[in-house]
This record gives sequence, C-alpha cells and structure tokens, in this order.
Amino acid sequence: MKIVLGVVAGLFYVSFACGQGFRLSGRVTGGDGAPVSDAHVVLLGTGRQANTGKDGEFSFAALAKGSYSIRVQKEGYRSHRTEIRLERDGQQIAIRLDSAMHVLDEVLVTDNHVERRKQHESLNVEVVGRDFIYRNLGGSLMKTLERLPGVQTIGIGSGQSKPLIRGLGFNRVMVVDRGVKHEGQQWGADHGLELDQFAAGEVEIIKGAASFVYGSDAIGGAIDVKPESPPAPHTAMASVDLMGRSNNGSYGTSVRFGGRGSRWFGDGRATYQRYGDYRVPTDTVHVYDYAVALHKQHLRNTAGQEMNLHLTAGYLGERFNSVLYVSNTYNKAGFFANAHGLEPRRVDAGMHDRSARDILMPRQQVNHFKVISRNAVHFGAHHLQAELGFQRNFRQEFSQYVNHGYMPPVFPDTLGIPMGLEREFDKFVYSLNVKDHWETGRHTLTFGFNGEYQDNAIDGWTFLVPSFDQLTAGAFVYDKYRLNDKTLLHAALRYDHGSLRMSAYRDWFPSPVDDSGTQEYLLRAADLHRRFNSVVWSVGINYDPADAVSLKANIGKSFRMPIAKELSANGVNYHYFSYEQGNPSLSAEQSYQADLSAAWQHGGWRIIVSPFYNYFPNYIYLNPTARFDHYYGAGNQVFQYEQSRVMRYGGELQLSRRISSALTAEVLAEYLFSKQLSGAKKGFSLPFAPPPSVLMNMTWAPDRAGNPFVSLDYKLVGRQYRIVPPERKTDGYGVAALQAGYTVSVANQEVHLNLQVQNLLNTRYMDHTSFYRLIELPEMGRNIVFSMRIPVGIANRNSIKE
Amino acid sequence: MKRIIIFFAMASLLSCGKDDGTTDTEYPVIDIAYADAFPVQCSTIQRGETFVFRAKFSDNVALGSFSLDVHDNFDHHTHSTEVNECDMEPVKTPVKPFVYINSFEIPGAPRIYEASVELTVPADVDPGDYHFMIRVTDREGWQTMRGLSIKIQ
Repeated sequence: MKIVLGVVAGLFYVSFACGQGFRLSGRVTGGDGAPVSDAHVVLLGTGRQANTGKDGEFSFAALAKGSYSIRVQKEGYRSHRTEIRLERDGQQIAIRLDSAMHVLDEVLVTDNHVERRKQHESLNVEVVGRDFIYRNLGGSLMKTLERLPGVQTIGIGSGQSKPLIRGLGFNRVMVVDRGVKHEGQQWGADHGLELDQFAAGEVEIIKGAASFVYGSDAIGGAIDVKPESPPAPHTAMASVDLMGRSNNGSYGTSVRFGGRGSRWFGDGRATYQRYGDYRVPTDTVHVYDYAVALHKQHLRNTAGQEMNLHLTAGYLGERFNSVLYVSNTYNKAGFFANAHGLEPRRVDAGMHDRSARDILMPRQQVNHFKVISRNAVHFGAHHLQAELGFQRNFRQEFSQYVNHGYMPPVFPDTLGIPMGLEREFDKFVYSLNVKDHWETGRHTLTFGFNGEYQDNAIDGWTFLVPSFDQLTAGAFVYDKYRLNDKTLLHAALRYDHGSLRMSAYRDWFPSPVDDSGTQEYLLRAADLHRRFNSVVWSVGINYDPADAVSLKANIGKSFRMPIAKELSANGVNYHYFSYEQGNPSLSAEQSYQADLSAAWQHGGWRIIVSPFYNYFPNYIYLNPTARFDHYYGAGNQVFQYEQSRVMRYGGELQLSRRISSALTAEVLAEYLFSKQLSGAKKGFSLPFAPPPSVLMNMTWAPDRAGNPFVSLDYKLVGRQYRIVPPERKTDGYGVAALQAGYTVSVANQEVHLNLQVQNLLNTRYMDHTSFYRLIELPEMGRNIVFSMRIPVGIANRNSIKE
Repeated sequence: MKRIIIFFAMASLLSCGKDDGTTDTEYPVIDIAYADAFPVQCSTIQRGETFVFRAKFSDNVALGSFSLDVHDNFDHHTHSTEVNECDMEPVKTPVKPFVYINSFEIPGAPRIYEASVELTVPADVDPGDYHFMIRVTDREGWQTMRGLSIKIQ
C-alpha cells in the first residue's frame, strides 16, 4: 500500500515540476479548401481534444515539446490522422480532410482509433464497433460479443444471455450503458441483460479487474456500451434494420430517425423482435432419466419477444455538450416448459405444441426504463463530464403454483399476490457520476466520483432475496504520465463506501419448527444493516520499444461489496432443490490481479498474447454442503455462502495473418484455470469455468465496391472436467459458422446485406456455461441469420462536400 | 519485461495439462433396483398403515446425508425422474394431502449405506397420486435425486 501511495504521490510531484507550455495551432479544410468547422481534433494519448471554429481553426496550449499524433474527425469526412513533432511555441499545421464516400452511412468507418485506445490503456481492452455487431449478430448483445477471446456468456434460451469475462460473471462484471452502470438482477443465472443491441454504438470490454475506474462489481471486468453517434450536422436521417433467424423463426426490425441543425440534434429508435421456440438437433432430451419427446425438435415454450424505444436529444457545442437519453426496453420470454430450473415438470404437450410462438408459463418478463443525462464542459486544460441517471428495472417471473415444502396445497386467494406470480423484483436506481479530465504537462489526471442509490422491493409467492436499499459512493484519482515517446505510466487510487439495509421478511405460510409439530411463519430474513469501506489501487505501464511491438503490464487491487442475496438469502430455490443461506458477516470481496499483454505487428502478421494472474483472498462462494434442512429448507440441500481463497490464471491469444490483399487468417484462443485454495471446496474449480477454446477463422474480403466479404469460423472447445457441485462434466466439441456481407446500391440507395449461418453443421453439443446445461439440453441447432441495413439520408446540400 | 512474459507464457502452457485429480467429482448413487427396496416407481401405499422406506446409497468416497419428501401430485404439475410413467388419476383439488419431509445424516461417512426409515401414513389423508422424493448427498456436496410416482390408497 505504502509503495502505491508513494508512486501516486511521486507522479503528482512530477506534474508540478514540469508544467512548461508550447502552443500548437492549426487549420482544418475540406477537399475544396474551404474551412471545416466543428471538426473534432484529438491529440491521441493525451486526452486533449478541441473542436474547430467557423474558420476551421483550433489550438492547444501548454503542450510539452515532443511528438504527437493528431486525429481529426468530422461527420461526412474520412477520419484523418497525422504525426507532428512540436519543436517551437506557436507551431502551426494545416490539415486537409477528404470527403467520405458514404456520407450518410451512420456507421463510422473508423481509422485505427481502436488500436490507439488499446495502446494507451494498461488494462486489457477490447473494442468493437457496429460492424462487428452486425457481422456477428446473435440473439442478444452479449451473445454477439461472445466471439471475442476471454468473453463468454451464460445463455438462457435464444434471446437472452449474460456476460462472463474470463470466467467471472453475475455481479463480478459491470455493464455500463451510456456512461451509467446498468442495474438489473445481475445475480440470477436465468436473467439476461436488458440492452438493445441495435442501439449500441461501440462496445468496450475491459478484461480483468477494473474497480478503480468503475467501483464495486467491476472486479472481473467491465463492458462499456457506448451510444450511437449523433446524426451529421444539417442533416435529417433515417435507417432501417431488418433481421430474421431461421432456427427460432425470429424476425425483427429496428428503425431510427434523427436530425441535426448545427448543434442541436434529436433522434429516436424503435426495435421490435419476436421469436419462436428454438430448435435443437435432437428429438428427445432427458430430464434426469425421463425422456421428454420434443415436437419437431422445438424446445417447448422458449419463444419470446422484445420491444425497445429510445429517444435522444442534445446540444453539441464547442465547449459544452449535453445529451438526454430516454429509453425503455421490454422483454418477455418463456422457460423450457418440461423443466423449471432442475425440476422436471409434467406439461400439457398439446397446449404447448399447438404453436411454437406462444409464450406460456413458466416465463419471465422485464421492463427496464432509463433516463440518462450526459454533460461535458471543456475549459482550459479541463474536460469535465457528468452523468445523471434514473433507472427502473421491473422483473416478473410467472409459473403455475406448485405447493413445494410446507406451502398450502391450494393457493389462497386472500394473499394479494397474483396466483401465477412466482417472483417479482422492482428496482429503482439513481446514479450520479462526475469526472474531470485535466491535462497538465505530461500528466493526464482524472478525478472522479460515482454515487448510486438503489431501492429494491420484492413480491411473489417464493422468497430468495429480501427487499433492500443500498447506497454506494466512491471517489478516485487516476494519473496517466507520459514518460517519453515510448512509455506511458499509470497509477490510480480509489476509495469506496457502501451501505446496505435489508428488510425483514416472513413466510406467508406456516411451517413446523420442531418435531412436536409447532408451526410458525418463519422469519426468512432479519433487518440487517451492513457498511463497507474499501481502498483499491492500480499501477500500470505501456511500453512500445519498437514500432512493431507494444507491451503493457498492470497490477491492481479490486473489490466488490457483497450483494443482498449473499448476505441475506434464506430461502428455498425449489427449482434447484437447494436451500440457500446467506451469510450476514461476509466481508467485501478483494482481488489482486496482474495483467500482461504483448502485441507484435509486422508484415501482415499480428500477434497479441495477454496472460493474467488473479488472486482472491476472500472470494464469495455459494457452497453446496452435504447437509439437508427439513425445517427452514423444507428438506432441501443446504447451500451456504462462504469465503475462500481463490487463484485464477489464464489468458488469450490473438493471431492473425494477412495472406493476400483479400485473404486473412485468424486464430483466437482462450484458456482459464481456477482453483479454490481454502474452504470446503479446497482444490475445486469455480462454477461456470469456461473450457479452453480455439477459434479459427478465414476471411476473404477483396477491396471492391460494395465491400463484399465471406468469413468462416471454426471453434474448437475443449472438455471441462474441472467442475464443482452441482455441475456436470462437459465434453469438448467443434462448431462452425459462416458470415458473409455485401453492400448493394438500389436506386442510389445503399443496402447493407449480412448473412450468417451459426452452427453450420447442425452439431449437437452442450455448452458448459449454458443455463440449461444442468438438465442436459443441447445448444441451438443450425441457424441462418439474415440482416439488412438501409441508411436513408435526407441532407441539406450546403453541408455536404462531394 | 521479456522474462516476465516468458514466465507467464510458460506458466500458462504448463498449467494446460495439469489437473490435480484429487477432487471428487462423482455423484452418489441411489439404488432401488433390488428386491427389498421400497417404494419404487408406481408403488402403492395403504393409508393408516406403516411402511419402511428402504434404499441403498453408495459413493466413491463418503456419503453425507439423505432426505425424504412425500407430497401430493394431484395437479400433475411435477414429473417423476423415472423412465416409465404410471397411470395417473384425474386431476383433483387437495383437501388434506399427506406431507412428509425429513432429513437424516448418514453416520460415519461410509461408502455404502442402506437406509431404512419407518413412515406412517395417517388414515385421514387424501388418497391419490403422490411423489416420493429421495435425495442423497456425498461429503463434497454432490446431490443425487430420484423422484418416484407412487399412489396412496
């Protein structure tokens, strides 16, 4: 700790010692020589940015002598990058922008800003844009991202999934949507993420502990979903997406309308998706020993629908910008009817099989409403950002009433709970983030504050987690110091405070409490108030010894506050035959992680190796014990939250080779090993440990009009025999996929076409990290995904320079 | 720097093939396929009488505990875990269904254990379709379950 404080203090000291300043100014013009106003100029790696004025001019003051990369972006023009050497005060440069061919294509055809982003971050970062999303369009955003090495998902049917980063998931991965932490019911394996993949602009994935920027929950990594870029100035635009999937008869559309004056803009997007029961390459699945016959290979009742609406309005000025996002996502999806959790269910097959598109019980439905206000001000060397957010996540799970345990045989209608309502979670979240980015000399300092208040209420006839409210607040300082042209140093320090207040809950039905037959309404959760404090830190380095090589290393401490379920659960999850007991005395989880990454790029070759080592002194683990409890647990196996020492290591390998101008080969591999070093499961792995995998790809993309491409993936997944109760050993498999795309021009209108065949050979396999793995359901069979994107532009002539 | 990378690369490569092989990943087994086992799938039990539950449990290392749960299935909502189905009576509303929930530790953590538990079914409970759930754990927390369909007459 002392060392870290020393390093941070040292960096501060240096910042005051060398605050000299040179001025750099420049002028941006278009192909015709006319000045380009409102172009965004960034000094890469320094965090400094400016917008050009009406005369096309910009300037940066207080710069140090040395080399800089300047990037200029402006809608309607190709992004431009240039290197300059700043040697004297008042140095001037001229930048000429080429106009973009596809002026109105809303997809930013980016330069190498992603590469630069990676090079100036000591953590392991993966950035994907909309092109990646369109090419790999899955049933949900997380499923789409699964292709990335080190990213896996827990799939729940065909329309929902939740992310795992290097094997950690649930509350150990933070999802940030438009600058604000996305809050749903992250703890549940059967709960997907309430995000619209059509509304995502760029997605940044931080693999590894990132608590120091994001706070609690980013202990395993973070997924930062950025919004779509606003419409170009003086244009009105529209875009239409159409999408269909063969496997589950899915169809969907997403439509966007928008317009912008010079500074004010507004846009709206609506997405609708409907899908039927998905198909697996088998006629029979075995729920335990009982053979369930599937009608036309359909997994009964896995149909669903999604409806999302987004409204955005904002002001984009030179020094100040402010954007308001209002969105609502709605999801409704069925669970496989022949088993609820692990519990075999007798079903009315005739009723379910009548239609593959109806959504009957058991099912879940979630509505997520969000209002986010993002604001930024530039003044002097400062860039101040603030986000204000409100979210309401309303989740309901419906199932026929079954009197498990001591529940009354007939559901009483006097309870005030609808008969089908098994669980309900109603969550209100208020967030505030403030961040100041300050450039001074060779330092880029970031000071930040994150605060969040949550109010959670429950309903329904089963109990897992009590109602609770939670307040968290954290402050951090992060310094990026440019030692020389080749080296960037990073240091960060963060303090967090959290307070959780759980409310008491009593069963609505009596249970016996001893052998004499005395009955009581059991107190499941008591009032409990816990506070947590945490100090975390991170230090890192980026070192580029040669043009072709870039190295990075990072070491840091992260933390996670226990969640209400871990502290206060005291209920029977009948569908898992488990009685989960929280542990009110848990301490905040801590993690130490070392990350390395080495990249080499030369003559068509590109190799990136990113190993990591991670140690938790007190990982919170739900331990399945050998005991049963026949009072509070109604005869179910006791699962208890405990803390144990855990060691994990692994890494990813990305290798690509440009064989010819059109042909590229790529290999993406991932490996993860985890082991509990203490506690009841000493020697065992952690649950949901992804098996090693290698994805091999060959892409043919000639440089021709219409940007055609054909890409073939073959993913080889190893077996996973390192399991922990109640998991099952999963054998390895290989699965192939095909992607192709082409842009056609119909009556001067561009139409982007994308085709994918997932599970090309209709392979029957089990995914170790699937929600349905425990009841041996195979994964989705062959799936042909077709999508079409039509960007329509209605532009003001004056602003387009051909 | 280079050394660190080489160390990490070596460490990850070496670890690939490593598996301690010391952890127990086997589920315990419930055997009800021998002559004295009772009840079995589709057994019938008489009201007002006492019967003995009998099953053999085994595990590769050490058994933990077992649990029994008898509940009605008058609404046909849950299914047994067994291969064959039994004849079901029509769906009906329970009035006074028989409920039995109990759990037992298996003393001495043996590898093989024959459980025998005496159960009395009161004379005034609803007759009909019931589920008889047998669950056993081993010391590591692996749980095996059998859900049998039985009838109470």
